[in-house]
Parts: sequence; structure tokens; C-alpha cells
Amino acid sequence: MARKKLSHKPLFMVAGFAVLNVIMYFTIHKFWIGGSSFLPMVGKLGPNNKFLFAFLVNMGVIVGAFVGALTSKEFRFRMPRVGSIGRGILGGILIGIGITLAPGTCTTSFVIGLPMLSISSVLSITGMFVGAFIVYSMTMAKCSVKNRKGNS
Amino acid sequence: MPAYILLIGFLFGIGFGYFVQRAGLCFAHGFGEFFTGRGQRIIRMFLVIFIISSIGFLVSGYVNPELGLKTIGQLRGYGFWNVVAGAIFGAGILLNGGCILGTLRQIGEGNMLFFVVLVSFIPGMALVVYVLNPILQSAYDVHNILLPDLIPVAAPVITGVLVCASVIWLISLLKR
Repeated sequence: MARKKLSHKPLFMVAGFAVLNVIMYFTIHKFWIGGSSFLPMVGKLGPNNKFLFAFLVNMGVIVGAFVGALTSKEFRFRMPRVGSIGRGILGGILIGIGITLAPGTCTTSFVIGLPMLSISSVLSITGMFVGAFIVYSMTMAKCSVKNRKGNS
Repeated sequence: MPAYILLIGFLFGIGFGYFVQRAGLCFAHGFGEFFTGRGQRIIRMFLVIFIISSIGFLVSGYVNPELGLKTIGQLRGYGFWNVVAGAIFGAGILLNGGCILGTLRQIGEGNMLFFVVLVSFIPGMALVVYVLNPILQSAYDVHNILLPDLIPVAAPVITGVLVCASVIWLISLLKR
């Protein structure tokens, strides 16, 4: 019962993620990374299979998320709507460019880079805010135009 | 790298995935919440991660000199390419509504749109790895710098101040 309650507290779960990451660093001297881990998908395994290792960690993330969703009855198989596929593909391509143009540019900047006091992560996050804000502003502008048309 | 390390990494990944799924962690959603003035949830999550990881990574250097603080990724073109890459990445995650962890989590939850997103990384990465990188290699001027290398303050002091500030901020957010 207590375990169930704890697993429903997002901050405890986030703390679990961070603690596990630190344990991984202490035990096998590696930590979770995002962007570069997908380079095996374009044939780059990295020195000493570094990227392959990170790729496998992230495949584990999918399995872990599946287990979490299944045990909490949140798993729901959903095929993408045709209208959202184009947006997904464009977003995916942009992510692919971003994560390889400057290694370390991704979620890793937030969960590893900043705690490591890495300058590249500070700059990457600055860029992320700019890029995300541009898309957010464009989306909001589009929505407000639609609303105005709807009202008139 | 020995096969058993790859297996251990996969097992750690399962743990990460479970925690991320239960937390509902996604920085793309976080950006959206932040811009609409409802960013407290993601800030709280980030602060928890920051406090634990900062202390853990700093202490690791005292336990084992091979560990400690390390640069993440590369500083390219005095940070110019990092900002550009960040902006492209930021635009991408907000477009499809999932950061890296968010994308993996959503696939695990059965949302196949994010499988499409994951596969779409390939043309973007291939463009940079096989076309842009060979052209821009000389302009990258790679450096790896930590904050303590830039300012004359020791890493434990910087981490200590940031962690204390984060704890105070987190407590004030939790009290609201």
C-alpha cells in the first residue's frame, strides 16, 4: 500500500531517477545520456561502443516505461492520427539535427550537464528556451488567428 | 566494452524508465507549462534532480578520483553551435511534445506517434553526421569547459551555493 502511494508521488519518482543515475555513476562510471545515444541508428557506435551502451540504456527506458505504464494501468496502445504525423516527423528531424550538431544538447543538459557545471549545457539550455519559445509563440499566434476567425 | 556492462546499462535503463513514467517527466511539456505560467511542476522536478545529482556527482570525485565533475558533450565554436543546436532541439521538442525522455516514455506508454518521432531522428542525425560535420569541422573549435574553469571559485563552493539556493527555492515552491 505504502509502495503504491509512493509510486504516485512524482517528486519521489524523480528523486528515484536522480538517485539511480548517481548509483550508476558510482558503480559502472557511466550516467544516462540522451542525444548521442541514438547515433547507432546512423551507424556510429562510438569509441569503445560508448553510444551503443547509451542506446541500450535508452531501450531499457522504453521497457521500464512500459512496465510502469502496465503496472499503473496507464498503458494504452495508440496509433498516430494522420494529421499529427507530419508534425512528429518534422519535430523528430529537428531533434535529430539538434542532438548531433552539438553533442550534449538535449534532456541530458538538464539532468546531467547542469549538475556537472558544464558550460556547454548552460548554453544549450539557453538555446532550447529560445527555440521552444519561438515555436510556442508561433503556435499561440496561429491559435489566436483561428479563434478570431471563429468569433467573426 | 564487456557485454555484461551493456546488460547492466540496459537494466539501469529499465529503472530510469519506470521512474520517468511514474513521474510523468518531460521537459517539452515543462517548457509548455513554463511559457503558460504554470511551470511550478517542472521546476520542482528539475530542482529535485539538480540537488541530488549535484551532490552525488561532486561527492563521487572524492570517493573515486576517476569520477567527479566532467564536461557533458562538447563546447563548439565558443558556444555558438551549442546555442544553435539548443534552439533547433527546443523547437523540435515543442513541435512534437516530447523531449528525449518524454519520447521514450510515451513509446513505453503505447503512443506510437513517438515511435515515428524516434525514427525521424535518423534523417536529422544523418544530415549532421554525414553532411554538415565534415563541412563545419574546422568551425567547431571544440572545447570542454566546466564552470569552475571559467570563474576563480572552487567547484564545491559553486555546487554548495547552487544546491543551497535550489533547496530554498524548492521549499518555497512546496509551501505554496
